[in-house]
Amino acid sequence: MHSSGKITTVLFSAILLLTGCTKEKNVTYGVNDKVVYEDKSLKTKRKSDAEYISILYTNLYQVPISPTQLYKTQNVIYSIGDRNVANEMVLSNYFNTSTLKIPKDSEMRADVAAFVEKCYKRFFLRYPSEGEKTFFINYINSNPNVSVEMVYTAFSVSDEYQYY
Amino acid sequence: MNRRDFFKKTGLVTAGTVAAPYILPTGRMFARTNVPKAEYVVMVMFAGGVRQQESVLQRYLDDSQEVTGAAGNIMPNLFTGIAPDRKIVYGTDPGGGATRGSEPIPRILSQSMEDTGTVFKEMSAISAGHYVGLNTLITGSLGTAQGLKTRPKYPTIFEYLRKHAGFAALDTWFIANGLGNSTPLLNSSKNADYGLQYGGNMFAAPYTFGGVGREILGNGKPYSRADLDPMYYMKNFLDQSFGLNPDQLETIKNTDEEKTRIKEFIRAVFQRQDQGLIPRPPVTDNGDAVTISYAAEVLRHFKPKFLTLNMSAVDGCHSNFTGYLRSLHRADHSVGWLWNYIQNNIPEMSGKTIMIVAPECGRNLKPNPILDENDWYAFDHSDANAMRVWSVMVGKNVPKMTVGSENNKVGKLTDIVPTIADIFGVYDEVKASPYLDPQSKSLFLRM
Repeated sequence: MHSSGKITTVLFSAILLLTGCTKEKNVTYGVNDKVVYEDKSLKTKRKSDAEYISILYTNLYQVPISPTQLYKTQNVIYSIGDRNVANEMVLSNYFNTSTLKIPKDSEMRADVAAFVEKCYKRFFLRYPSEGEKTFFINYINSNPNVSVEMVYTAFSVSDEYQYY
Repeated sequence: MNRRDFFKKTGLVTAGTVAAPYILPTGRMFARTNVPKAEYVVMVMFAGGVRQQESVLQRYLDDSQEVTGAAGNIMPNLFTGIAPDRKIVYGTDPGGGATRGSEPIPRILSQSMEDTGTVFKEMSAISAGHYVGLNTLITGSLGTAQGLKTRPKYPTIFEYLRKHAGFAALDTWFIANGLGNSTPLLNSSKNADYGLQYGGNMFAAPYTFGGVGREILGNGKPYSRADLDPMYYMKNFLDQSFGLNPDQLETIKNTDEEKTRIKEFIRAVFQRQDQGLIPRPPVTDNGDAVTISYAAEVLRHFKPKFLTLNMSAVDGCHSNFTGYLRSLHRADHSVGWLWNYIQNNIPEMSGKTIMIVAPECGRNLKPNPILDENDWYAFDHSDANAMRVWSVMVGKNVPKMTVGSENNKVGKLTDIVPTIADIFGVYDEVKASPYLDPQSKSLFLRM
């Protein structure tokens, strides 16, 4: 009786050992291609002055703004009642420097449709609607005096650029 | 069309043509509810907590430092009275050292404002603090729960004037003396019935036009109209596409044309600084004088119908009574200079302007323990004496008159907003606002 109990225990353990461990399956999950972009209707939060300035500066110069420069710019913007006036003047100062990283006018004219799309992605993090695209393509094509600086200014001081 | 229809329709068209230009944002056909008293108003929020004793009561050291025989008027442009003849420390410094402050600044105006206008000798403030006091002067409301770092809870005079009198954004200006104490937010409330779409323009002048402002703004491109038109055209398209609601506005609104004029003005100020053309009071040794210089620039350039500015240097009284006396004397000097400048250098405003001067709050009866260079005690503002203030009005249609006395309070600071509304002919409209102190009324009705 004693030895049969031992045999039962050994057998039970052997069954557990054989059935309790299974070989791990090697599973690989795939991701379907999906274009991700922002929806303007979901942009409901206004950027703070600090966020707006630092994002704008990084966008145009492709380097971050220094904390001192950010603090000074914030204060000056706060000192003017119409923030749009302040933003436009700050921007106009940026455009008067030589280290901006922006396309040349000739590059814009070479492929206006691509330029417009890039503008929307660069500033609004989204693609333009067909109506928006058509407006800008027609406007730029029919106004030879319109420059990259003008288009960038319009995007930079637009309401949408101040929201996320 | 028969003859009767013809007359009826031409009559309606004629009436519409005449009335249309006067239809205001309120929906009212005509703005004016009473005859305007003047074309322009300049309001000075004076000057950071002023004790009655050293200002309108002209007691100098007699009622503050237990000195006897040293009473006198140290505000000769605002008030009429003989200057003190003892312990003179509030003036300029002819020789340095021991003579510091011993030379009073000569009076600018040939007659004091008291001699030509109306003084309310004893009025009630709504609060013993600066920011609520400033809010009171700007809103006419009993906003004692007004928080810091937030816009006024109730509509401001800028919004009342823009909505009810049809003023453009460039017609209304606030010149702030700095960024502290939330003053840059005083140019508009976010009230649902008024709000930023009716806010006034504002410069915190020492920043906008100081060294930092020059560094950040002074190198801008002077875009031509031909450059700006396409930019604004494209921006306006983008904004329409985004469709911001009025309640999402975070800044006041100027038209594209108005924005262009403001930018041109800022550039012009930097150029005039280089050329030494910014008008300044003869003594410009504190921040208030700088603020008032730029207020004069805005008045000269834009000729706004309404401008208000705040001064705050006398708030040094918390720790330095001598400095307070000097600042008070200089604030009087700067205000006198501004009034004189308007009369002599801005012909469009000369003889057509009313200036209103009033402190936002008073100062304590008893001093704190801080002693200054002359062993004089400093004063804070928190007791009943800090609720005592005065006001001075001068200019077109303002009678020469004294109203009230030390023992006879007449008027309160919430009266200032309805007074300005009265001057511009929109008294009933503004008084009908549910946000105004219901007991407030035009100071002209308290005379």
